[in-house]
Amino acid sequence: MRFVDEFRDAELGRALAAEILSVVEPGRHYKVMEVCGGHTHTIYKYGVDDLLPESVELVHGPGCPVCVIPMGRVDDGIAVAMEPGVIFTCFGDMMRVPGGDGTLLDAKAEGADIRMVYSPLDALRVARENPERDVVFFAVGFETTAPSTALTLMRAKAEGISNFFVFCNHVTIVPPLKALLESPDLRLDGFVGPGHVATVVGARPFEFIPSAYERPIVISGFEPLDVLQSVHMILRQIAEGRCEVENQYKRVVPYEGNPQALRVLAEVFELRPHFEWRGLGFISHSGLRLSSAYADFDAEVRYRVPGVRVADPKACQCGEVLKGVIKPWECKVFGTACTPERPIGTCMVSSEGACAAYYNFGRFVREKVEVLA
Amino acid sequence: MIETCNDTHCITCSDEGVAMRVLGLGSDGLASCVDDNGRWERIMTDLVSPVSPGDSVLVHAGVALVRLEPEARRA
Repeated sequence: MRFVDEFRDAELGRALAAEILSVVEPGRHYKVMEVCGGHTHTIYKYGVDDLLPESVELVHGPGCPVCVIPMGRVDDGIAVAMEPGVIFTCFGDMMRVPGGDGTLLDAKAEGADIRMVYSPLDALRVARENPERDVVFFAVGFETTAPSTALTLMRAKAEGISNFFVFCNHVTIVPPLKALLESPDLRLDGFVGPGHVATVVGARPFEFIPSAYERPIVISGFEPLDVLQSVHMILRQIAEGRCEVENQYKRVVPYEGNPQALRVLAEVFELRPHFEWRGLGFISHSGLRLSSAYADFDAEVRYRVPGVRVADPKACQCGEVLKGVIKPWECKVFGTACTPERPIGTCMVSSEGACAAYYNFGRFVREKVEVLA
Repeated sequence: MIETCNDTHCITCSDEGVAMRVLGLGSDGLASCVDDNGRWERIMTDLVSPVSPGDSVLVHAGVALVRLEPEARRA
């Protein structure tokens, strides 16, 4: 493929693997968390983990925006979608994410007008084309997708469109990282940092990780050699007794991020006092809602949402997977009752979800262990 | 029929960065952009403006987040 071959070169990968082996301390076990679901996807698509020594364990973080949505918020979205006259829009597979009482796809089958869009801008176009109906966009995602929602709302306001609403579920990445670092059941040695979130927020917001928690973090690109090099940079910091924010993805990420994007986010959104994350519980100042200047576009102001907290199914262990406490194949229903075709948990829905990444790329470690035993 | 995620793009959340080249600017302020696979899309470039035809940008969910230097398009 054009432009990417050198970031997927097997020889370079083996050379990096040898360098990683040279910096690990014999007898020590390392736990490195890749924060972003995009990295999880890369690791299992290209077998990056197979190039690492056994003493280096990759732990999958909470960086898939769909996986961290609690079931109650899906139910809230379905409640809005079922309101008379509403056209409810969302990204593709969001329709298959299970709530406590079915999915958006089930609601569509029951008659709700639910449409797939590729961007908030598509949803705004639907609103322009249907001025007599309310059009609601189910907004999910971290700082990478929040600017898209923000700019779309600014356009809607400038155009005087009054039938466009956003059901806002945008979240920010730093608070859950703090929560994970405070978690007593997880001891991490370093982080592969989210490359594309950093194009917006920059590297500076991650400085608390080395300064307050004495752990290294390396902002990483998404090609297999990017991830491998980032793991090497983390382990080298540890070996040299250093602890800092490094930027492996300099070819894309400016250290200061995108100041214009940050201004847009600050104008359109404000932090919620707290927001529930699947598996992590309520985390302070981790979710975004529309600011008072954009309250007229807020679906939660326009409609009454139930706001009921729904417990995950008992068999589902998405929470422990999201915290990196267990591997996907250690979940009781992985690959049996829960598959990408019939997901029980969110981690099996999105291609960035850890369970789907394991399943789709044949990582049935449980079976492998049984065979070896 | 519901399109599902494939191994290069998560359509559940649309959360994937795609390098695109600017072809031209429309009167509505949106830029016509194309990726390396020939997929065409109208993009908001407010966060990296001004852009000109030939510029490369990293796009997330219909928004250009950062301008790419020529060598950055290599991934």
